[in-house]
Amino acid sequence: MGRYAIRRLLQLVPVVLGTTFIINYMVWQLPGDPFAGRCGQRPCPDSYITAMREQFGLDQPILVQYWNFLKNLLTGNFGTDFNGVSVATQLGDAWPITIRLALMAVAFEAIIGIGAGVLSGLKRGGFVDNVVTVSTLVLLSLPIFVTGYLLQWILGVQLHIIEPTVSDAATVPELIVPALVLASLNMAFTARLTRTSIVENLRADYVRTAVAKGLSNRRVVAIHLLRNSLIPVLTFLGTEVGSLMSGAIITEGIFNIHGIGGLLWRAINGQDYTIVVPVATLLVLVYLVSNLLVDLLYGVLDPRIRYE
Amino acid sequence: MTEVLSEQMGRGSHGGALLEVDNLHVEFRTRAGVAKAVNGVTYSVDAGETLAVLGESGSGKSVTAQTIMGILDMPPGKITGGEIRFRGVDLLKLPDDQRRKIRGEGISMVFQDALSALNPVFPVGWQIAEMFRMHRGTSRADAKKMAVELMDRVRIPAAKERVNDFPHQFSGGMRQRIMIAMAIALDPEILIADEPTTALDVTVQAQIMGLLAELQRDSNMGLILITHDLGVVADVADKIAVMYGGRIVENAPVHDLYRDPAHPYSKGLLESIPRVDQKGQELYAIKGLPPNLLEMPTGCAFHPRCPYRRDNCVTDVPPLYTISGTRGSACHYWREVIDEGER
Amino acid sequence: MSDPTATQDLIKGAGEPTASPVAVRGDRRSLWRDTWDILKRRKIFWISFVMLIVFLLMAAFPTLFTHKDPEYATLAKSMEGPSADAWFGYDLQGRDVFARSVYGARTSIIVGVLATLATVLLGGLTGVLAAYFGRWIDAVVSRVGEMFLGLPYVLGAIIILGTVTPAQSNPGKAMIMAVVIIVLALLGWPILMRIARSAVIQAKHQDYVQAARALGAGPLRLIFRHLLPNSLAPILVYTTITIGSYIGAEATLSLLGIGLRPPVISWGIAIADHASYMRTGAHALLFPAAFLSLCVLTFVMLGEAVRDALDPKLR
Repeated sequence: MGRYAIRRLLQLVPVVLGTTFIINYMVWQLPGDPFAGRCGQRPCPDSYITAMREQFGLDQPILVQYWNFLKNLLTGNFGTDFNGVSVATQLGDAWPITIRLALMAVAFEAIIGIGAGVLSGLKRGGFVDNVVTVSTLVLLSLPIFVTGYLLQWILGVQLHIIEPTVSDAATVPELIVPALVLASLNMAFTARLTRTSIVENLRADYVRTAVAKGLSNRRVVAIHLLRNSLIPVLTFLGTEVGSLMSGAIITEGIFNIHGIGGLLWRAINGQDYTIVVPVATLLVLVYLVSNLLVDLLYGVLDPRIRYE
Repeated sequence: MTEVLSEQMGRGSHGGALLEVDNLHVEFRTRAGVAKAVNGVTYSVDAGETLAVLGESGSGKSVTAQTIMGILDMPPGKITGGEIRFRGVDLLKLPDDQRRKIRGEGISMVFQDALSALNPVFPVGWQIAEMFRMHRGTSRADAKKMAVELMDRVRIPAAKERVNDFPHQFSGGMRQRIMIAMAIALDPEILIADEPTTALDVTVQAQIMGLLAELQRDSNMGLILITHDLGVVADVADKIAVMYGGRIVENAPVHDLYRDPAHPYSKGLLESIPRVDQKGQELYAIKGLPPNLLEMPTGCAFHPRCPYRRDNCVTDVPPLYTISGTRGSACHYWREVIDEGER
Repeated sequence: MSDPTATQDLIKGAGEPTASPVAVRGDRRSLWRDTWDILKRRKIFWISFVMLIVFLLMAAFPTLFTHKDPEYATLAKSMEGPSADAWFGYDLQGRDVFARSVYGARTSIIVGVLATLATVLLGGLTGVLAAYFGRWIDAVVSRVGEMFLGLPYVLGAIIILGTVTPAQSNPGKAMIMAVVIIVLALLGWPILMRIARSAVIQAKHQDYVQAARALGAGPLRLIFRHLLPNSLAPILVYTTITIGSYIGAEATLSLLGIGLRPPVISWGIAIADHASYMRTGAHALLFPAAFLSLCVLTFVMLGEAVRDALDPKLR
């Protein structure tokens, strides 16, 4: 297990290097001018562009730039944005909010998604099952931003149950609706995956054995059936922590939450790539590391998986 | 068995055998139609007795066993008639919680494929110990000790070291031993073994059969041995019930059936066992295919494959004719079958 | 669905097992006939089928649905609510919301279908090649795939689109759409590559493929006659669902201001333009959002029906 973890970690290195290189290359090297938006609607004077290029090291060969980027990444030096504000400070302020939002979203996914999936899987074709099937279908068809605007409009504008936008403090109660929006898609996936998994395992021989052992229905379901059925579900939840970050960009933008996603949303609108690159890099790292953890977790959850 | 239950169920006070299956009917309702899996099966087992239920897949032998255990999937399964009396009490009429207590304590079951029948994510010792913890309220630590003792009893080497291993870490034979250990944990009075050796190597098969026979002798259990393999049962069974198309076509003490089978199907089964003294001869095989449960043949279900067929076999369902006190055959021409002897 | 990568999990159960029935039976026609027999009995299939026809008609002949010009603007009517004259009301510029919603179908469906097609070609080809040749080709393709998968979808699109077509540039309609299509395919191909790869690897070891190889079938013939048909079922399922999720993704990118943009008419743009007017005129936001969601729903339902029909295990 330990050796497997180290090997997986080593395998991660080229992927991280490759992905960050792609990000760097695309942002700074592709045709198009990274400073085009800095001077309003008219083109920037050449002197300004030259100065900026020098400041951000764009006059150097791409590999040197990339090397500098990696050095800075490892030392936690993310430089400043175009306005001269330290990127590290902005990230430090934004991270806790996004983590709070993401954790709440994962909790919703797990509680509501698994709960709905278990209920519908146990009574296939029943009333609950039909409700869950239809509502997950609807959730799967609503892009996150539609769900977001819809809830914002209904709950915030029409019913005045929530404030349409979240304050700077981003407290837990304020984040409930945004977290639900962020979780909505994965919640539907979780419910469906749980249902499929339950239905499949319900027919498994070991469940029949558990019944034949004279165990109560509750124990058969809660211990024997669930423990097996939830393995793929937990794996899914883990893998999707990374892609929640994509959703966070939209959700935080809609509800004006000052997290990482909101930072990125505003950076895109302001075309400030000095923030885009480190934020994107961080999000990619979160994604890759969470995938790695899921891989290792899988071995803990399922004793049949052996690492060699 | 808890005291209350055994009193309530009148231990020893009823007239019949320990377990009696009486005219059981089970159907499966599928989209394609109604499959009549069990059509009036009757058999009984007493303490210390071994009944072998013989038949090919689809004959209803496993469905009967699952109905006795109360683990039939319903739906699509449906019990349409009959009784299953354990100590004289009809299990089919018992409320769920009482029925549950009988599972594991009164009647227990060993399945064919131990790898899929054991829960893959729990250690084997834990799974055995669960019997004691859930039925008897034994503490975790004590239950685990008892699990190790049981693993010793079914002769798993180094039981103490292996108690925390998972099912996939054992060989097929060892897994089946664990399955057996779990089934006999609470000293059940009836043990049902559903093709317990089919998934195993021939050498291991003999060991497992030997173990089952030994455990049965030691604790005077009634054993129902379900199999499709006549060779397996000869040494251990007292009596045999041969099933075909959801019915019992012949029942007999094991030696009588081997000596002179009274039903063409049993006879065909016997003749298709390879024998040393017939070396060089062509091996006999029953012609045709097992019946389709959705469209059972009229009359005797075996008639399309039967060499003794007459016209009335196509129209009249043969009852189970009594041959002697302990023998029966569901063939209109059972006398002919016995008299003709070996072909 | 704003994140197409998520759909791989929806069909996770379907992806691998569907490959086997084809291979085992070897009789492809019967699989497709079985599939059709199951499909035509499913209500969800017929509902989505009818919806699909409606959206396709809308995309091909928008004039069947509205006689109004989607570009015609009457500023005086800006943000006017629904009326008998304009069912869905007018947008910020005083254009008919219903007409714009109808015309938006064409863009969304073109982008969704073409991007999916490009994904299937790119992912299918790389997957089949990686599985067939194995060794270093497999290693390289798989690693590169991982790098692209490591880039969360929206993030990847932001990075590419933000630089290729920055807000200041002024590309034509076709160019705008082409760039979005390429980006979607570029970020989506690894999933399809994996599906095709695992289906082909499974099939590669089947006896009949080994036999064909032993009989001297060349690589091209092996791939097209024996291996590709095997990955068809899972690819078909994925494709249907992906069209829907790409339509959602396109709208998401347009919302962010980096996907489509005027003069293209798109549901995503309409939603983005009116998001900040939620308090005064929600109709200009909600109607395009409803069209968008119904369109995605159509493909999700269709994909679901196809998956159920192709994968007996999940029935």
